[in-house]
Amino acid sequence: MKTPSNSMDWSDVKLLLRELFATARENWWLFVDWLAVIDWRRLAILWLLVLIGFGLLNTPEPAVWFILISFGVKVLGGGKRKAELEAQAADRKADVATLERRLTEAQMATLQAQVEPHFLFNTLALIGQLIETDPPEAARVHAHLIDYLRSSLPQMRAAGSATLGKQVELSKAYLAIMQARMKERLQVQFRVPDFLGSAPFPPMMLQTLIENAIKHGLEPKIAGGRIDVSARVEDATLFVDVCDDGLGFNPTSSDGLGLANIHERLQLLFGDKAELVIEAPPTGGTRASIRVPYQMMEGL
Amino acid sequence: MSAAPRALIADDEAPMRDQLRARLREVWPELQIAGEAANGVEAVEQARALAPDIVFLDIRMPGLTGIEAARQLYQRCHIVFVTAYDQYALDAFEQGAIDYLLKPVTAARLETCCARLRQRLAQPPEDIGVQLGRLTAALAGNAANAAPPRLRWIQAQVGASLRMIPTREVLFFRSDEKYTRVQTATTELLIRKTLKELADELDPDEFWRIHRSTLVRVDAIESVSRDMRGRQMLKLRGCREELEVSRNHSHLFQQM
Repeated sequence: MKTPSNSMDWSDVKLLLRELFATARENWWLFVDWLAVIDWRRLAILWLLVLIGFGLLNTPEPAVWFILISFGVKVLGGGKRKAELEAQAADRKADVATLERRLTEAQMATLQAQVEPHFLFNTLALIGQLIETDPPEAARVHAHLIDYLRSSLPQMRAAGSATLGKQVELSKAYLAIMQARMKERLQVQFRVPDFLGSAPFPPMMLQTLIENAIKHGLEPKIAGGRIDVSARVEDATLFVDVCDDGLGFNPTSSDGLGLANIHERLQLLFGDKAELVIEAPPTGGTRASIRVPYQMMEGL
Repeated sequence: MSAAPRALIADDEAPMRDQLRARLREVWPELQIAGEAANGVEAVEQARALAPDIVFLDIRMPGLTGIEAARQLYQRCHIVFVTAYDQYALDAFEQGAIDYLLKPVTAARLETCCARLRQRLAQPPEDIGVQLGRLTAALAGNAANAAPPRLRWIQAQVGASLRMIPTREVLFFRSDEKYTRVQTATTELLIRKTLKELADELDPDEFWRIHRSTLVRVDAIESVSRDMRGRQMLKLRGCREELEVSRNHSHLFQQM
Protein backbone atom coordinates (compact mmCIF):
# COMPACT_ATOMS: atom_id res chain seq x y z
CA MET A 1 0.00 0.00 0.00
CA LYS A 2 1.14 3.48 -0.77
CA THR A 3 1.18 6.08 1.97
CA PRO A 4 -0.28 9.27 0.59
CA SER A 5 1.27 11.44 3.33
CA ASN A 6 4.72 10.49 2.16
CA SER A 7 4.40 12.60 -0.97
CA MET A 8 7.94 14.03 -0.96
CA ASP A 9 9.85 10.80 -0.68
CA TRP A 10 13.55 10.18 -1.12
CA SER A 11 13.42 9.53 -4.89
CA ASP A 12 11.89 12.97 -5.41
CA VAL A 13 14.68 14.59 -3.44
CA LYS A 14 17.24 12.68 -5.43
CA LEU A 15 15.62 13.82 -8.68
CA LEU A 16 15.65 17.42 -7.45
CA LEU A 17 19.31 17.23 -6.51
CA ARG A 18 20.20 15.71 -9.84
CA GLU A 19 18.35 18.48 -11.64
CA LEU A 20 20.10 21.16 -9.56
CA PHE A 21 23.46 19.61 -10.23
CA ALA A 22 22.76 19.43 -13.96
CA THR A 23 21.77 23.10 -14.06
CA ALA A 24 24.85 24.15 -12.10
CA ARG A 25 27.12 22.17 -14.37
CA GLU A 26 25.51 23.62 -17.48
CA ASN A 27 25.93 27.17 -16.17
CA TRP A 28 29.50 26.51 -15.17
CA TRP A 29 30.36 25.46 -18.73
CA LEU A 30 28.52 28.48 -20.12
CA PHE A 31 30.71 30.60 -17.84
CA VAL A 32 33.87 28.85 -19.03
CA ASP A 33 32.84 29.31 -22.69
CA TRP A 34 32.21 32.95 -22.06
CA LEU A 35 35.60 33.38 -20.39
CA ALA A 36 37.32 31.59 -23.22
CA VAL A 37 36.11 33.97 -25.90
CA ILE A 38 36.10 37.31 -24.07
CA ASP A 39 39.27 39.35 -24.61
CA TRP A 40 41.58 40.39 -21.77
CA ARG A 41 40.85 44.11 -22.05
CA ARG A 42 37.12 43.63 -21.50
CA LEU A 43 37.76 41.20 -18.69
CA ALA A 44 39.98 43.77 -16.95
CA ILE A 45 37.28 46.43 -17.27
CA LEU A 46 34.76 44.00 -15.83
CA TRP A 47 37.08 43.22 -12.87
CA LEU A 48 37.39 46.94 -12.20
CA LEU A 49 33.61 47.40 -12.27
CA VAL A 50 33.06 44.38 -10.01
CA LEU A 51 35.66 45.70 -7.55
CA ILE A 52 34.06 49.14 -7.48
CA GLY A 53 30.57 47.64 -7.15
CA PHE A 54 31.37 45.33 -4.28
CA GLY A 55 33.69 47.95 -2.78
CA LEU A 56 30.77 50.34 -2.54
CA LEU A 57 28.86 47.63 -0.71
CA ASN A 58 31.85 47.30 1.62
CA THR A 59 32.21 43.55 0.86
CA PRO A 60 35.18 43.21 -1.49
CA GLU A 61 35.70 39.45 -0.84
CA PRO A 62 33.27 38.09 -3.54
CA ALA A 63 34.85 40.43 -6.08
CA VAL A 64 38.32 39.20 -5.23
CA TRP A 65 37.17 35.57 -5.46
CA PHE A 66 35.51 36.23 -8.81
CA ILE A 67 38.65 37.85 -10.16
CA LEU A 68 40.88 35.03 -8.92
CA ILE A 69 38.65 32.25 -10.29
CA SER A 70 38.07 33.86 -13.65
CA PHE A 71 41.78 34.68 -14.00
CA GLY A 72 42.70 31.10 -13.16
CA VAL A 73 40.15 29.57 -15.54
CA LYS A 74 41.09 31.88 -18.37
CA VAL A 75 44.79 31.21 -18.02
CA LEU A 76 44.51 27.45 -17.49
CA GLY A 77 41.65 26.35 -19.69
CA GLY A 78 40.73 29.34 -21.80
CA GLY A 79 43.03 28.71 -24.72
CA LYS A 80 42.01 25.10 -25.11
CA ARG A 81 38.33 25.85 -24.77
CA LYS A 82 38.57 28.67 -27.29
CA ALA A 83 40.21 26.37 -29.81
CA GLU A 84 37.45 23.83 -29.23
CA LEU A 85 34.75 26.40 -29.82
CA GLU A 86 36.46 27.64 -32.95
CA ALA A 87 36.73 24.08 -34.24
CA GLN A 88 33.02 23.60 -33.60
CA ALA A 89 32.18 26.77 -35.52
CA ALA A 90 34.36 25.64 -38.41
CA ASP A 91 32.59 22.26 -38.41
CA ARG A 92 29.25 23.96 -38.55
CA LYS A 93 30.42 26.11 -41.44
CA ALA A 94 31.61 23.03 -43.30
CA ASP A 95 28.25 21.36 -42.65
CA VAL A 96 26.41 24.30 -44.18
CA ALA A 97 28.70 24.21 -47.20
CA THR A 98 28.10 20.48 -47.70
CA LEU A 99 24.39 20.98 -47.32
CA GLU A 100 24.43 23.77 -49.88
CA ARG A 101 26.34 21.65 -52.35
CA ARG A 102 24.01 18.68 -51.82
CA LEU A 103 21.02 20.94 -52.31
CA THR A 104 22.38 22.39 -55.54
CA GLU A 105 22.88 18.87 -56.81
CA ALA A 106 19.37 17.85 -55.82
CA GLN A 107 18.12 21.02 -57.38
CA MET A 108 19.80 20.23 -60.66
CA ALA A 109 18.22 16.79 -60.63
CA THR A 110 14.74 18.16 -60.04
CA LEU A 111 15.22 20.84 -62.62
CA GLN A 112 16.18 18.27 -65.17
CA ALA A 113 13.08 16.30 -64.37
CA GLN A 114 11.01 19.44 -64.61
CA VAL A 115 10.87 19.47 -68.39
CA GLU A 116 8.11 16.93 -68.57
CA PRO A 117 8.29 14.48 -71.45
CA HIS A 118 4.51 14.74 -71.76
CA PHE A 119 4.78 18.49 -72.37
CA LEU A 120 7.66 18.06 -74.78
CA PHE A 121 6.00 15.35 -76.88
CA ASN A 122 2.67 17.17 -77.06
CA THR A 123 4.38 20.37 -78.15
CA LEU A 124 6.37 18.56 -80.81
CA ALA A 125 3.19 16.88 -82.06
CA LEU A 126 1.55 20.30 -82.24
CA ILE A 127 4.46 21.76 -84.22
CA GLY A 128 4.24 18.80 -86.60
CA GLN A 129 0.59 19.51 -87.24
CA LEU A 130 1.09 23.26 -87.61
CA ILE A 131 3.85 22.80 -90.20
CA GLU A 132 1.14 21.40 -92.49
CA THR A 133 -1.71 23.73 -91.66
CA ASP A 134 -0.18 26.99 -90.44
CA PRO A 135 3.60 27.24 -91.01
CA PRO A 136 4.02 30.76 -89.53
CA GLU A 137 2.36 29.62 -86.30
CA ALA A 138 4.54 26.49 -86.34
CA ALA A 139 7.62 28.73 -86.52
CA ARG A 140 6.35 30.82 -83.59
CA VAL A 141 5.64 27.82 -81.34
CA HIS A 142 8.98 26.32 -82.33
CA ALA A 143 10.79 29.52 -81.31
CA HIS A 144 8.94 29.58 -77.98
CA LEU A 145 9.93 25.97 -77.34
CA ILE A 146 13.58 26.82 -77.93
CA ASP A 147 13.35 29.80 -75.54
CA TYR A 148 11.71 27.59 -72.95
CA LEU A 149 14.30 24.82 -73.21
CA ARG A 150 17.19 27.28 -73.23
CA SER A 151 16.26 28.62 -69.83
CA SER A 152 14.80 25.52 -68.19
CA LEU A 153 17.42 22.89 -69.01
CA PRO A 154 20.06 23.38 -66.31
CA GLN A 155 23.00 22.61 -68.57
CA MET A 156 21.85 25.38 -70.89
CA ARG A 157 21.03 27.93 -68.24
CA ALA A 158 23.12 30.99 -68.96
CA ALA A 159 24.69 32.99 -66.15
CA GLY A 160 22.60 35.99 -65.19
CA SER A 161 19.33 34.14 -65.70
CA ALA A 162 18.48 34.64 -62.05
CA THR A 163 16.64 37.90 -62.56
CA LEU A 164 12.92 38.39 -62.47
CA GLY A 165 13.02 39.65 -66.08
CA LYS A 166 14.62 36.43 -67.36
CA GLN A 167 12.26 34.26 -65.33
CA VAL A 168 9.24 36.12 -66.69
CA GLU A 169 10.54 35.67 -70.25
CA LEU A 170 10.86 31.93 -69.72
CA SER A 171 7.33 31.68 -68.34
CA LYS A 172 5.94 33.79 -71.17
CA ALA A 173 7.45 31.35 -73.68
CA TYR A 174 5.94 28.39 -71.80
CA LEU A 175 2.50 30.00 -71.56
CA ALA A 176 2.57 30.96 -75.26
CA ILE A 177 3.02 27.26 -76.06
CA MET A 178 0.22 26.28 -73.70
CA GLN A 179 -2.03 28.89 -75.33
CA ALA A 180 -1.28 27.48 -78.78
CA ARG A 181 -2.40 24.08 -77.42
CA MET A 182 -5.33 25.06 -75.21
CA LYS A 183 -6.54 27.92 -77.46
CA GLU A 184 -9.40 29.89 -75.91
CA ARG A 185 -9.34 27.66 -72.81
CA LEU A 186 -6.34 29.60 -71.49
CA GLN A 187 -6.07 33.35 -70.90
CA VAL A 188 -2.86 34.88 -69.62
CA GLN A 189 -2.04 38.24 -68.09
CA PHE A 190 1.33 39.52 -66.91
CA ARG A 191 1.57 42.59 -64.69
CA VAL A 192 5.28 42.93 -64.02
CA PRO A 193 6.61 46.52 -64.06
CA ASP A 194 9.66 46.99 -66.30
CA PHE A 195 11.84 48.35 -63.51
CA LEU A 196 11.62 44.98 -61.70
CA GLY A 197 13.18 43.16 -64.65
CA SER A 198 16.69 43.53 -63.26
CA ALA A 199 15.78 42.45 -59.71
CA PRO A 200 17.52 39.19 -58.69
CA PHE A 201 15.10 36.29 -58.45
CA PRO A 202 15.96 32.59 -58.03
CA PRO A 203 15.55 30.54 -61.21
CA MET A 204 12.66 28.13 -61.91
CA MET A 205 10.51 29.17 -58.96
CA LEU A 206 8.00 31.27 -60.92
CA GLN A 207 7.96 28.58 -63.61
CA THR A 208 7.13 25.86 -61.05
CA LEU A 209 4.18 27.90 -59.76
CA ILE A 210 2.89 28.48 -63.29
CA GLU A 211 3.25 24.83 -64.29
CA ASN A 212 1.34 23.84 -61.14
CA ALA A 213 -1.45 26.28 -62.01
CA ILE A 214 -1.75 24.77 -65.49
CA LYS A 215 -1.39 21.15 -64.49
CA HIS A 216 -3.59 21.05 -61.39
CA GLY A 217 -5.82 24.09 -61.92
CA LEU A 218 -6.61 24.75 -65.56
CA GLU A 219 -5.81 21.73 -67.73
CA PRO A 220 -8.20 19.43 -65.82
CA LYS A 221 -10.94 22.09 -65.84
CA ILE A 222 -13.32 21.66 -68.79
CA ALA A 223 -13.92 25.37 -69.33
CA GLY A 224 -10.28 26.27 -68.78
CA GLY A 225 -9.56 29.66 -67.22
CA ARG A 226 -7.00 32.37 -66.69
CA ILE A 227 -3.59 32.88 -65.14
CA ASP A 228 -2.50 36.23 -63.70
CA VAL A 229 1.17 36.77 -62.96
CA SER A 230 2.02 39.93 -61.07
CA ALA A 231 5.00 41.42 -59.26
CA ARG A 232 5.29 44.38 -56.91
CA VAL A 233 7.53 45.81 -54.22
CA GLU A 234 6.18 46.59 -50.79
CA ASP A 235 8.36 47.57 -47.82
CA ALA A 236 11.57 46.32 -49.44
CA THR A 237 9.94 42.96 -50.19
CA LEU A 238 9.46 41.67 -53.71
CA PHE A 239 6.11 39.90 -54.14
CA VAL A 240 5.67 37.58 -57.12
CA ASP A 241 2.14 36.18 -57.34
CA VAL A 242 0.58 33.55 -59.60
CA CYS A 243 -3.24 33.41 -59.51
CA ASP A 244 -5.47 31.04 -61.40
CA ASP A 245 -9.21 30.43 -61.39
CA GLY A 246 -8.86 26.70 -61.90
CA LEU A 247 -10.10 23.71 -59.95
CA GLY A 248 -8.45 24.82 -56.72
CA PHE A 249 -6.30 22.98 -54.30
CA ASN A 250 -6.83 19.39 -53.29
CA PRO A 251 -5.66 19.15 -49.65
CA THR A 252 -4.85 15.46 -50.01
CA SER A 253 -2.71 15.83 -53.14
CA SER A 254 0.84 15.03 -52.23
CA ASP A 255 2.24 16.93 -55.18
CA GLY A 256 4.19 19.26 -52.98
CA LEU A 257 7.53 18.27 -54.41
CA GLY A 258 7.97 21.33 -56.57
CA LEU A 259 6.63 23.52 -53.79
CA ALA A 260 8.78 21.81 -51.13
CA ASN A 261 11.77 22.49 -53.34
CA ILE A 262 10.90 26.20 -53.55
CA HIS A 263 10.36 26.37 -49.80
CA GLU A 264 13.72 24.76 -49.05
CA ARG A 265 15.65 26.87 -51.49
CA LEU A 266 14.06 30.07 -50.19
CA GLN A 267 15.01 29.14 -46.65
CA LEU A 268 18.57 28.42 -47.61
CA LEU A 269 18.96 31.59 -49.66
CA PHE A 270 17.14 34.07 -47.43
CA GLY A 271 16.34 32.38 -44.10
CA ASP A 272 13.26 33.83 -42.45
CA LYS A 273 13.22 36.80 -44.79
CA ALA A 274 11.51 34.90 -47.62
CA GLU A 275 8.36 32.83 -47.79
CA LEU A 276 6.10 30.86 -50.08
CA VAL A 277 2.40 31.35 -49.38
CA ILE A 278 -0.34 29.25 -50.97
CA GLU A 279 -3.90 30.48 -50.61
CA ALA A 280 -7.37 29.61 -51.83
CA PRO A 281 -9.09 32.96 -52.47
CA PRO A 282 -12.85 33.19 -51.79
CA THR A 283 -13.40 33.58 -55.56
CA GLY A 284 -11.99 30.10 -56.19
CA GLY A 285 -8.80 28.87 -57.78
CA THR A 286 -5.37 29.14 -56.21
CA ARG A 287 -3.01 32.00 -55.39
CA ALA A 288 0.66 31.22 -54.90
CA SER A 289 3.00 33.96 -53.75
CA ILE A 290 6.77 34.10 -53.37
CA ARG A 291 8.15 36.87 -51.17
CA VAL A 292 11.87 37.66 -51.15
CA PRO A 293 13.92 40.66 -49.97
CA TYR A 294 14.00 43.20 -52.80
CA GLN A 295 17.33 44.16 -54.34
CA MET A 296 17.54 46.48 -57.32
CA MET A 297 20.38 44.62 -58.97
CA GLU A 298 22.64 41.67 -58.42
CA GLY A 299 25.19 42.28 -55.69
CA LEU A 300 23.64 45.46 -54.32
CA MET B 1 -22.53 -3.56 -92.35
CA SER B 2 -23.39 -1.73 -95.55
CA ALA B 3 -23.48 1.92 -94.53
CA ALA B 4 -20.22 3.88 -94.36
CA PRO B 5 -18.48 3.47 -90.99
CA ARG B 6 -18.63 6.46 -88.64
CA ALA B 7 -16.09 7.74 -86.11
CA LEU B 8 -15.86 10.21 -83.23
CA ILE B 9 -12.67 12.11 -82.40
CA ALA B 10 -12.07 13.23 -78.81
CA ASP B 11 -9.09 15.42 -77.89
CA ASP B 12 -8.92 18.59 -75.81
CA GLU B 13 -6.53 20.23 -78.26
CA ALA B 14 -8.21 21.40 -81.48
CA PRO B 15 -5.08 21.19 -83.68
CA MET B 16 -4.73 17.51 -82.71
CA ARG B 17 -8.32 16.79 -83.71
CA ASP B 18 -7.66 18.48 -87.05
CA GLN B 19 -4.54 16.42 -87.54
CA LEU B 20 -6.27 13.11 -86.95
CA ARG B 21 -9.21 14.14 -89.14
CA ALA B 22 -6.87 15.07 -92.02
CA ARG B 23 -4.89 11.83 -91.72
CA LEU B 24 -8.02 9.69 -91.61
CA ARG B 25 -9.31 11.36 -94.78
CA GLU B 26 -6.10 10.29 -96.57
CA VAL B 27 -5.94 6.78 -95.21
CA TRP B 28 -9.60 5.83 -95.00
CA PRO B 29 -11.70 8.13 -97.24
CA GLU B 30 -14.96 6.24 -96.68
CA LEU B 31 -14.81 6.76 -92.92
CA GLN B 32 -17.24 9.46 -91.88
CA ILE B 33 -16.28 11.73 -88.98
CA ALA B 34 -19.60 11.95 -87.15
CA GLY B 35 -18.41 14.42 -84.52
CA GLU B 36 -15.67 15.82 -82.32
CA ALA B 37 -15.43 16.17 -78.54
CA ALA B 38 -13.13 18.47 -76.55
CA ASN B 39 -13.26 16.63 -73.22
CA GLY B 40 -14.08 13.28 -71.68
CA VAL B 41 -17.61 14.15 -70.64
CA GLU B 42 -18.46 15.41 -74.11
CA ALA B 43 -16.93 12.30 -75.63
CA VAL B 44 -19.29 10.03 -73.68
CA GLU B 45 -22.34 12.19 -74.45
CA GLN B 46 -21.52 12.43 -78.17
CA ALA B 47 -20.80 8.73 -78.42
CA ARG B 48 -24.17 7.94 -76.84
CA ALA B 49 -26.00 10.41 -79.10
CA LEU B 50 -24.23 9.64 -82.39
CA ALA B 51 -23.58 5.92 -81.91
CA PRO B 52 -20.34 5.87 -83.94
CA ASP B 53 -18.57 2.62 -84.85
CA ILE B 54 -15.18 3.87 -83.69
CA VAL B 55 -14.10 6.38 -81.04
CA PHE B 56 -10.63 7.89 -81.04
CA LEU B 57 -9.87 8.92 -77.45
CA ASP B 58 -7.03 11.13 -76.23
CA ILE B 59 -5.89 9.84 -72.82
CA ARG B 60 -5.38 13.11 -70.96
CA MET B 61 -8.55 15.14 -71.19
CA PRO B 62 -10.37 17.35 -68.70
CA GLY B 63 -13.65 16.07 -67.25
CA LEU B 64 -12.97 12.37 -67.76
CA THR B 65 -9.71 10.83 -68.91
CA GLY B 66 -9.77 8.80 -72.09
CA ILE B 67 -9.52 5.61 -70.04
CA GLU B 68 -12.50 6.57 -67.87
CA ALA B 69 -14.54 7.49 -70.95
CA ALA B 70 -13.60 4.18 -72.58
CA ARG B 71 -14.91 2.22 -69.59
CA GLN B 72 -18.34 3.65 -70.31
CA LEU B 73 -18.15 3.12 -74.06
CA TYR B 74 -16.22 -0.04 -74.86
CA GLN B 75 -19.33 -2.19 -75.21
CA ARG B 76 -20.90 0.12 -77.80
CA CYS B 77 -18.01 0.93 -80.10
CA HIS B 78 -14.44 0.15 -81.03
CA ILE B 79 -11.96 2.19 -79.00
CA VAL B 80 -8.65 3.57 -80.23
CA PHE B 81 -6.50 5.50 -77.73
CA VAL B 82 -4.36 8.41 -78.88
CA THR B 83 -1.50 9.76 -76.78
CA ALA B 84 1.72 11.71 -77.13
CA TYR B 85 3.40 10.18 -74.12
CA ASP B 86 2.05 8.03 -71.32
CA GLN B 87 4.63 5.43 -70.51
CA TYR B 88 2.53 3.29 -68.19
CA ALA B 89 -0.40 3.30 -70.62
CA LEU B 90 1.83 2.40 -73.56
CA ASP B 91 3.28 -0.52 -71.60
CA ALA B 92 -0.23 -1.80 -71.01
CA PHE B 93 -1.27 -1.32 -74.64
CA GLU B 94 1.72 -3.27 -75.92
CA GLN B 95 0.57 -6.39 -74.06
CA GLY B 96 -3.12 -6.27 -74.78
CA ALA B 97 -5.70 -6.17 -77.49
CA ILE B 98 -6.15 -2.44 -77.16
CA ASP B 99 -5.64 -0.27 -80.22
CA TYR B 100 -3.61 2.89 -79.84
CA LEU B 101 -1.96 5.63 -81.86
CA LEU B 102 1.01 7.84 -81.01
CA LYS B 103 0.96 11.56 -81.67
CA PRO B 104 1.95 12.92 -84.10
CA VAL B 105 -0.08 10.34 -86.02
CA THR B 106 1.83 9.09 -89.05
CA ALA B 107 0.12 7.78 -92.17
CA ALA B 108 1.90 4.41 -92.02
CA ARG B 109 0.91 3.68 -88.41
CA LEU B 110 -2.63 4.88 -89.03
CA GLU B 111 -2.97 2.56 -92.03
CA THR B 112 -2.11 -0.50 -89.93
CA CYS B 113 -4.57 0.61 -87.29
CA CYS B 114 -7.34 1.22 -89.84
CA ALA B 115 -6.76 -2.10 -91.54
CA ARG B 116 -7.30 -3.85 -88.22
CA LEU B 117 -10.41 -1.79 -87.55
CA ARG B 118 -11.89 -2.61 -90.98
CA GLN B 119 -11.60 -6.31 -90.22
CA ARG B 120 -13.16 -5.99 -86.85
CA LEU B 121 -16.02 -3.69 -87.74
CA ALA B 122 -18.19 -6.65 -88.77
CA GLN B 123 -17.90 -8.12 -85.26
CA PRO B 124 -19.02 -6.60 -81.99
CA PRO B 125 -16.31 -4.63 -80.14
CA GLU B 126 -13.84 -6.74 -78.22
CA ASP B 127 -14.37 -7.03 -74.48
CA ILE B 128 -11.55 -4.92 -73.08
CA GLY B 129 -13.25 -4.28 -69.73
CA VAL B 130 -10.65 -6.22 -67.76
CA GLN B 131 -7.71 -4.47 -69.40
CA LEU B 132 -9.34 -1.07 -68.86
CA GLY B 133 -9.93 -1.87 -65.22
CA ARG B 134 -6.30 -2.81 -64.80
CA LEU B 135 -5.22 0.33 -66.62
CA THR B 136 -7.38 2.53 -64.38
CA ALA B 137 -5.82 0.91 -61.33
CA ALA B 138 -2.34 1.41 -62.76
CA LEU B 139 -3.05 5.06 -63.48
CA ALA B 140 -4.50 5.62 -60.02
CA GLY B 141 -1.58 3.80 -58.45
CA ASN B 142 0.75 5.99 -60.39
CA ALA B 143 -0.87 9.08 -58.96
CA ALA B 144 -1.29 8.10 -55.32
CA ASN B 145 0.71 4.91 -54.82
CA ALA B 146 -2.60 3.18 -54.06
CA ALA B 147 -2.49 4.45 -50.47
CA PRO B 148 -5.62 6.00 -49.00
CA PRO B 149 -5.58 9.77 -49.53
CA ARG B 150 -3.97 11.54 -46.60
CA LEU B 151 -4.22 15.16 -45.61
CA ARG B 152 -1.11 16.93 -46.94
CA TRP B 153 -2.28 20.53 -46.58
CA ILE B 154 -3.86 22.30 -43.64
CA GLN B 155 -6.34 25.02 -44.55
CA ALA B 156 -6.49 28.02 -42.21
CA GLN B 157 -8.53 31.17 -42.62
CA VAL B 158 -6.25 34.22 -42.88
CA GLY B 159 -8.24 37.36 -43.66
CA ALA B 160 -10.55 36.68 -46.57
CA SER B 161 -8.43 33.86 -47.96
CA LEU B 162 -7.83 30.28 -46.99
CA ARG B 163 -4.14 29.72 -46.47
CA MET B 164 -2.69 26.31 -47.37
CA ILE B 165 0.07 25.06 -45.08
CA PRO B 166 1.91 21.90 -46.08
CA THR B 167 1.82 19.36 -43.24
CA ARG B 168 5.62 19.02 -43.44
CA GLU B 169 5.90 22.59 -42.10
CA VAL B 170 3.67 21.91 -39.08
CA LEU B 171 5.45 21.21 -35.79
CA PHE B 172 2.40 20.25 -33.77
CA PHE B 173 -1.36 20.61 -33.38
CA ARG B 174 -2.85 21.42 -29.99
CA SER B 175 -6.51 21.67 -29.18
CA ASP B 176 -7.65 24.86 -27.50
CA GLU B 177 -11.23 24.90 -26.24
CA LYS B 178 -13.00 25.73 -29.51
CA TYR B 179 -10.17 25.69 -31.99
CA THR B 180 -7.09 23.73 -32.87
CA ARG B 181 -3.79 25.58 -32.83
CA VAL B 182 -1.42 24.87 -35.72
CA GLN B 183 2.18 25.63 -34.82
CA THR B 184 4.86 26.06 -37.48
CA ALA B 185 8.44 27.32 -37.07
CA THR B 186 7.35 30.82 -38.00
CA THR B 187 3.66 31.24 -37.15
CA GLU B 188 0.73 29.87 -35.26
CA LEU B 189 -2.76 29.69 -36.73
CA LEU B 190 -6.15 28.56 -35.52
CA ILE B 191 -8.33 26.10 -37.41
CA ARG B 192 -11.76 24.67 -36.70
CA LYS B 193 -10.91 21.07 -37.46
CA THR B 194 -10.83 19.03 -34.26
CA LEU B 195 -7.85 16.99 -33.17
CA LYS B 196 -9.90 13.83 -33.68
CA GLU B 197 -10.66 14.76 -37.30
CA LEU B 198 -7.01 15.63 -37.91
CA ALA B 199 -5.83 12.37 -36.37
CA ASP B 200 -8.13 10.47 -38.74
CA GLU B 201 -7.12 12.35 -41.87
CA LEU B 202 -3.38 12.81 -41.35
CA ASP B 203 -0.81 10.18 -42.16
CA PRO B 204 -0.36 8.21 -38.91
CA ASP B 205 3.32 7.76 -39.72
CA GLU B 206 3.80 11.50 -40.09
CA PHE B 207 1.96 12.66 -36.95
CA TRP B 208 1.74 10.95 -33.56
CA ARG B 209 -0.69 11.60 -30.81
CA ILE B 210 1.30 12.15 -27.61
CA HIS B 211 -1.43 13.63 -25.44
CA ARG B 212 -5.20 14.03 -25.37
CA SER B 213 -4.71 17.52 -26.78
CA THR B 214 -1.52 17.21 -28.84
CA LEU B 215 -0.52 15.77 -32.22
CA VAL B 216 3.15 16.10 -33.06
CA ARG B 217 5.05 15.69 -36.33
CA VAL B 218 7.48 12.85 -35.73
CA ASP B 219 10.24 14.31 -37.90
CA ALA B 220 10.28 17.51 -35.86
CA ILE B 221 11.12 15.78 -32.58
CA GLU B 222 14.63 16.59 -31.41
CA SER B 223 14.81 14.84 -28.05
CA VAL B 224 12.79 13.28 -25.26
CA SER B 225 13.63 13.90 -21.61
CA ARG B 226 12.10 13.62 -18.16
CA ASP B 227 11.40 16.67 -16.07
CA MET B 228 11.46 16.98 -12.26
CA ARG B 229 8.03 15.47 -11.90
CA GLY B 230 9.00 12.51 -14.00
CA ARG B 231 6.92 13.51 -17.02
CA GLN B 232 8.22 12.80 -20.50
CA MET B 233 8.83 16.05 -22.35
CA LEU B 234 9.48 16.47 -26.09
CA LYS B 235 11.80 19.08 -27.49
CA LEU B 236 11.09 20.07 -31.11
CA ARG B 237 13.41 21.50 -33.73
CA GLY B 238 12.79 25.19 -34.27
CA CYS B 239 10.49 25.57 -31.27
CA ARG B 240 11.03 26.69 -27.67
CA GLU B 241 7.85 25.20 -26.32
CA GLU B 242 8.23 21.72 -24.81
CA LEU B 243 5.41 19.24 -25.18
CA GLU B 244 4.23 16.84 -22.53
CA VAL B 245 3.73 13.18 -23.36
CA SER B 246 0.85 11.75 -21.36
CA ARG B 247 1.17 8.39 -19.58
CA ASN B 248 -1.18 6.74 -22.05
CA HIS B 249 1.21 7.54 -24.87
CA SER B 250 4.55 7.19 -23.12
CA HIS B 251 5.03 3.75 -24.71
CA LEU B 252 5.82 5.61 -27.97
CA PHE B 253 9.14 6.69 -26.50
CA GLN B 254 10.19 3.65 -24.47
CA GLN B 255 13.88 3.09 -24.43
CA MET B 256 15.05 0.31 -26.67
